[in-house]
Amino acid sequence: MEAVINDYISRELVQDATLLPLGNATPLLETGILDSLSLLRLVMFIQDQFGIAVDDLDLVPEHFASVDAICAYLRSRAVGTAGQAGGHG
Amino acid sequence: MGEAAAKAAGPARRRRPGRAGWPGTVTAGRLLRRAGGLPYWLAVAPMVARLPASLAYRVACRHGDWSFRYWAQKRSETVRNLRQVLGDELSLEEAERLTRELFRFRSCDLIDVMRLRGRAESLGRLVEIRGREHLDTALAEGKGAILCSAHFGSYQSAFSLLHASGFPLTTIGRWWWNYTPGLSPAERRFWDVAYARRVLRHRQRPSIEPWPGRVQVAMQAAAALRANEVVTICSDAAPLGADRSRSVEVPFLGRQARLLPGVVTLARLTGAPVLMVFVHRLADYRHQVLEISPPVPMDGETETAFGRCAAAMDTAIRTRPAHWFFWFETSDLSGLGLLPPAPPTRTAAVSPLIGR
Repeated sequence: MEAVINDYISRELVQDATLLPLGNATPLLETGILDSLSLLRLVMFIQDQFGIAVDDLDLVPEHFASVDAICAYLRSRAVGTAGQAGGHG
Repeated sequence: MGEAAAKAAGPARRRRPGRAGWPGTVTAGRLLRRAGGLPYWLAVAPMVARLPASLAYRVACRHGDWSFRYWAQKRSETVRNLRQVLGDELSLEEAERLTRELFRFRSCDLIDVMRLRGRAESLGRLVEIRGREHLDTALAEGKGAILCSAHFGSYQSAFSLLHASGFPLTTIGRWWWNYTPGLSPAERRFWDVAYARRVLRHRQRPSIEPWPGRVQVAMQAAAALRANEVVTICSDAAPLGADRSRSVEVPFLGRQARLLPGVVTLARLTGAPVLMVFVHRLADYRHQVLEISPPVPMDGETETAFGRCAAAMDTAIRTRPAHWFFWFETSDLSGLGLLPPAPPTRTAAVSPLIGR
């Protein structure tokens, strides 16, 4: 997951080439890689790629601070979704 | 919505000393302006707005004339800005006439806001909406619609009126008083109550306020569009420092201006069409026309697509220059690249009728 997201951000969202190669811990917000519109693009990519819908309430900087943070958030979403599915199942 | 400039509604707080226009009349001028600011907002305008429209807007024009006369610093700054941007073909007399109109319009805009009470019928009777069918057609596609405008005319009231007339509408923009350093909580509360509350009564959702670090803005706008609602953006605002790297240069008012093409990006990501909307006041000051364009093509490079929006704003401003707020504030024009950078001053933001 980290590699896929890192690759997408590196290809599509990084405008300053000096920030490449992008580390998984590189701050995405402080460096200006992610802003409001690029975050929207990223969220749409995540939904397409992983089938995980990002709730509006989850759009907080902590969840998108770095590639690592994004993946941690997505894994928690996946676990939560699976848990809910199991609970209902 | 924005931190911006000061308008003819008159100052609500103390301005920088020593900047009023006429030597020897500084104190008197400031006192007169202050006398005309808060009371006009709090007492005069709400009462005047309940008068028959012809009388109400006549009073507003007199108030605009009064501000024009006694707010010499802002008057001379506005005249200078008009002539520097539009060129010397604009004679001094014409620039002064336009400036007087600007002051009158800002005063009339406040009456518009006050006439949004109830279901906004008292304002709605005065505003003809043209191109409504374009918005209906756009929404029939089910992807929402983006209305792109400028800080032009009584745009906030116009947006509220569109919502009141049946289009669920949300605005992307900043209330300047939420971000202007040095304002007291009382001042912020004043603008919330005196202005924002009246406007927001006719909005589908709270305003989406973009600011560096507020990363959820586009997602909020996308959510509104997914719900097949209308989102408005004024695309003539100067980019803030953090956003400058994302701005593009487009021809605008005879120069290459730096503007943010967020409207194009949002449209492409969501599939929502972009329509231009401008409202202008007629010669009797009380009637207005709100014009909605057909969808703007979004094909081509971002600069190309956004250039079409900028061209529409350019045309609207050149056709009716007295409707554009940014003439009031040199720093706004500098931020756009239309004037050389201005020395930093504390913004005399005394009216929320400018926003971004």
